[in-house]
Amino acid sequence: MITPRFDNVIHAPNRLRICAILAAVDSADFSTVRDGIGVSDSVLSKHIASLHASGYVAIRKSSCGARTRTTLSLSPAGRRAFKEHVSALHAITENNPQRR
Amino acid sequence: MENENSVEESLTAAISGREWLAQRLVAPWWYHPCLGLLAGALTAVGIARNGTFFAWAVVGYSIGCGLVMWANQRRVGVSMRYFDRAMSSVFVAQVLCMALVAAVACWLEFSRNLRGALLVAALCEFGITLLFGYWSDRVLRQRIVSLQR
Repeated sequence: MITPRFDNVIHAPNRLRICAILAAVDSADFSTVRDGIGVSDSVLSKHIASLHASGYVAIRKSSCGARTRTTLSLSPAGRRAFKEHVSALHAITENNPQRR
Repeated sequence: MENENSVEESLTAAISGREWLAQRLVAPWWYHPCLGLLAGALTAVGIARNGTFFAWAVVGYSIGCGLVMWANQRRVGVSMRYFDRAMSSVFVAQVLCMALVAAVACWLEFSRNLRGALLVAALCEFGITLLFGYWSDRVLRQRIVSLQR
């Protein structure tokens, strides 16, 4: 059962897109998410740090030859918060009388 | 409270993220044809009527499929459970279909001595792989774009 709940951390457009991508998969490479959002590494890092601080995103680093591979995934709390936030957005649009 | 436009924009942003992901996850042009060629080649090997040769062909088929899937996985850059109920149904239907075609072709080729049956079956296996491959792409796309997950 999902209770609609507006989440200010997730609501920023780029963070919402990050969560939307990560919620559909188990994990994604940092570069894949960056390509999907269309931002620079540093901008994505800031958003990820914010989501990580809220306990919504898990970051895993592994060495891949000479490079470090960063993998991102939504934590169970992040998945729940994303579902609740999307549910809240749908509830707002459905309750607007101008749309009827 | 957020105004209506902001909410709409947010939902659009989320959906556009999912659409981008769906586009990325859909198999590239070479993926299904490669798997189809491997399936067709495995079926065609039966014409040789040599058990050892066929066993090696199965090994080659498995390695080939693994390499094609690995190459696609590297391109996509995500890890996910592809097989939910809908995808599993498509996959089971594909396996049953391919097994039926192979069984009928073997019966015609070996019991009825109808030469060329396995060759026709190889072409069918290629087609079946393409058909079910594109079907599973569509099912996967629908699942990704839905914000319910």
